[in-house]
Amino acid sequence: MNEFLSWSELGFLGKILINLGFVSALLGTVVAALASLSYPPLSKKVWELSTKSFWGLQLASIVGASAVLLILIANHQFQYYYVWNYTSLDLPMEYLLSAFYGGQEGSFLLWILMSSVLGLGLMAWTRAPYRWPVMSVMGFTQVFLISMLLGWSFGDAMMLGASPFRTLLEEMPSAPFLQANPGFVPADGRGLNDLLKSPWMMIHPPALFVGFSMMTAPFAFAIASLWTRTYHEWVRPALPWTLSANVFLLTAIFLGGYWAYETLSFGGYWAWDPVENASLVPWLIGTAGIHTMIIQKKSSRAHSASLFFAIFAYVLIIYETFLTRSGVLANASVHSFVDLGLYNQLLAFMVAITVLGFGFYFWRYRDLPKPKKESSLLSKEVLTFTGSILLLVLGLVIILGTSSPIIGRLFYDNPTPPDIQFYNDWSGPLALVMGLLTVIGQMVFWQRQSWVSLGTGLLLPTIATSVITAISAIMGQVNDLYSITFFWVGWFTVIGNGWVMVSLMMRNPALIGGTVTHIGFGVLLIGILASSKYNTFLVPPVTESFNARVAAGEAFDEDGFPITTQIESFELQRNQPKVVNQQYMVTYEGYELKDTPRPGTQIYTITFQPLDGRDTFTLRPEVYPMSSTAGTDRVDWSVDPDILTGWMSDIYLFVGGSALVERRNEQIAAQATMNEAAMSRAVNGQESGASGASANSNGQETTPEDSISVVSLLPNDPVQAGPYQFTFTGYEPAQQDEVPENTQVAIRANIQVTHMPTGRSYEVVPLFAVFIDEGENFTYSPSLRIEEWGLDVQFSSIVPNDESIELTVAGLNEFIEEDWIYLTVEKKPFVSAVWLGTFLLMGGFSISIFRHWARDRQAKQSSGNRVKSSDPAVA
Amino acid sequence: MKIKVILGVVAIVAFSSLVFYNFGNSISTYVDFEGAQGMKGAHVVGTWDDTQESYFNRETMQFSFWMTDETGNKRKILYPRPKPNNFEQATQIVVIGEYRGNSEVFVANDMLMKCPSKYNDPSALQMQEASS
Repeated sequence: MNEFLSWSELGFLGKILINLGFVSALLGTVVAALASLSYPPLSKKVWELSTKSFWGLQLASIVGASAVLLILIANHQFQYYYVWNYTSLDLPMEYLLSAFYGGQEGSFLLWILMSSVLGLGLMAWTRAPYRWPVMSVMGFTQVFLISMLLGWSFGDAMMLGASPFRTLLEEMPSAPFLQANPGFVPADGRGLNDLLKSPWMMIHPPALFVGFSMMTAPFAFAIASLWTRTYHEWVRPALPWTLSANVFLLTAIFLGGYWAYETLSFGGYWAWDPVENASLVPWLIGTAGIHTMIIQKKSSRAHSASLFFAIFAYVLIIYETFLTRSGVLANASVHSFVDLGLYNQLLAFMVAITVLGFGFYFWRYRDLPKPKKESSLLSKEVLTFTGSILLLVLGLVIILGTSSPIIGRLFYDNPTPPDIQFYNDWSGPLALVMGLLTVIGQMVFWQRQSWVSLGTGLLLPTIATSVITAISAIMGQVNDLYSITFFWVGWFTVIGNGWVMVSLMMRNPALIGGTVTHIGFGVLLIGILASSKYNTFLVPPVTESFNARVAAGEAFDEDGFPITTQIESFELQRNQPKVVNQQYMVTYEGYELKDTPRPGTQIYTITFQPLDGRDTFTLRPEVYPMSSTAGTDRVDWSVDPDILTGWMSDIYLFVGGSALVERRNEQIAAQATMNEAAMSRAVNGQESGASGASANSNGQETTPEDSISVVSLLPNDPVQAGPYQFTFTGYEPAQQDEVPENTQVAIRANIQVTHMPTGRSYEVVPLFAVFIDEGENFTYSPSLRIEEWGLDVQFSSIVPNDESIELTVAGLNEFIEEDWIYLTVEKKPFVSAVWLGTFLLMGGFSISIFRHWARDRQAKQSSGNRVKSSDPAVA
Repeated sequence: MKIKVILGVVAIVAFSSLVFYNFGNSISTYVDFEGAQGMKGAHVVGTWDDTQESYFNRETMQFSFWMTDETGNKRKILYPRPKPNNFEQATQIVVIGEYRGNSEVFVANDMLMKCPSKYNDPSALQMQEASS
């Protein structure tokens, strides 16, 4: 690489490519518009050819820019801000790839890349009259997206975009150390957020951005339809794209939910976080659009609704992008992006898309075809359309909640996010009505029904549903009306749609996409309620009876006030089992330490012995220090839960605290104190404080930790401290390059440390140096660490009178302390149904994609080649 | 036709008002400890006051500490779970809850911690330079 281009030239090339991509997108938009208008003076052919060339150039530039970023990341070029901020030397290759889209700039680049590739597909498969208008709209969105990465600055205040290829110097021009040394390259980067080091987080963003870019297609087709005033035909090519966009969005939502369940400790797969909603709402609106597009195809109705949803779905993607990336939600969401100063640009993007979409829509509104006569209430058109409206309403309610930092200002100056209850209270009942509607809708969709025939048709599914609901309610001890209703509707959705599916299977299996999707929805309803409402915390009997008293209002704290919160976790001593909820005997067996993939990971072994005689199982939750936020003197702990997945229920648990974590925190605090003392202690009783730090002649006396002690050693005279034996065997000269400037004395001591219970020993050679700074004497004696025991040894002093030396040792009590953990264990019934429902939704949508895609192909063949109508597939 | 349109408009207006009413009730505003008096589910923003005692009661599994809100009021907080792992590092804490009875003790049913951002913070780079 270096032979052709230096690293700084490579970054410059990246910038050039982004600019080239921007210019070609801009020109491509214009020439595609001219091709659509058959604009003189040049012939249509010229404009078409230029559109193709500019799109090719754009794609090449974006692929090139992505490759450059990937090369810079893979080669650890930390002079680039993005590389430094999101990667580090110890990242394995697959997470270097994740780091590509771990930040805001890279994720924009991924989105742009996906859209660029998608544009190629659209150009190849779209026919007249939509081809060139669609490409023009695609280009239009690309112009805005690529502009986010331009990094053009106009003076100090104005910036257009943030380049992924900007250097540290460009990012922080006023930082003094960069001014002094502009060529400074950090030795290592800050690394990827530990929570993102998950295989699920590797595939979630690509799936999401494929979904986002595919959702551009229905928008582009809608605009093209309004442009060309051909309102009937556009849904045919747009429908497969919308379905595909939905499958990808759903996959992304599923991956995000599964990641949250498996990685985060809030104990669920969905928290109504604004970032989650950002992908859910476009999916809901896209689904509403799919429904109206299907009506439009079948019955030539709902033209305006299909256009509306196709436009709205994309407008929402941009709106939610604005919310999550502009910094508006910084306080409301745990994982929104940092503000890169793109607020105005994102706002402009949103306004442009909204004006283009809805402006065009309302301009053409009077022109849109209207149905001649109204449909009856019990028609597939009305029922399907009602389904779309319900999806729209649900989407709008969620948008309202997500927009609380903006819309909440109507109520308060400084609004908080809404209660989770707000989302649950509205989405639950809406979902119930949708569930009922799917069954009636499917019944009517495939067969003309009267009220009587519908009633007859629903009789058996209703009876079957009631029986199954009753059985499951008794078995699951469900006794409140809302839950029973909810489960009834869930089962009804599954059984009713299943009923229709079976009859369709006999007619033509290719038609079952819709019913499979709706069955998935029913399964999802059952899974969501079961896993959230019937989630139980497994606790020992003492806690159980305490919680019963809390529930009865009879529990009081030490000051005599009633306690209102039940206890969710319990303490477990090593090898002292506890029985939880009369179901399992839980034993904490111990822990082990591991350094890959996350350094310093503590893996706890916890065994569950079911009391009903089933097999014992072991779970291994982890606690690890977050490397991305760690400094030298502190550590942020993160927990990684473990889950036993089962068909009936999951056992989910995490370690909320442990003796080990507390000891590590104490050690780190002690080490920080020692390091501070090591640099700033004056020797020989001299006045200290010249360096501004607290200091005295005996560093350890200033530390509050009692795990620190001083060991005095005479040569070859073993001394015991805690479970260890220390032997000072002699001196060793220190190397010149290891010590501070102006060092007077520098020496190392050979110390043999033996852990007596195990007999294992280590040799440490700590340094002791005396140096002069501004005429005063200081010592420099960094502590050395024996990782296995968590022991820090510092050569703190030479006693001039006899031949002894003093060591300051931290972590002596490591092995005699107790070992306990705080454990939170939850039993979540039927999480499996949530995943199963999601898979059925994906499967159903996929079946429909193939069906509608095949029909679109057929339509093309039959219109282009009417002679060949003997093709059996067309009939 | 006319009747249908009117019915539709009425339904939409009624439904939206209900949603908005409910939305208005489900959000609140960030307050200080004075403002949280008499509120349920009050959101108070502040920082941990590490000069006062904080401890974990192993029996009731409650963590208690002192917090200073943005206007400088100090209150004792009871959090009914073990101390969160990254508690000491939080630059800002949001407690969500209410006063216990008529006392000055605030029970946090929920607690959010804002941890030091690793973004846009050149001091981390400087530290790295110092050590490299």
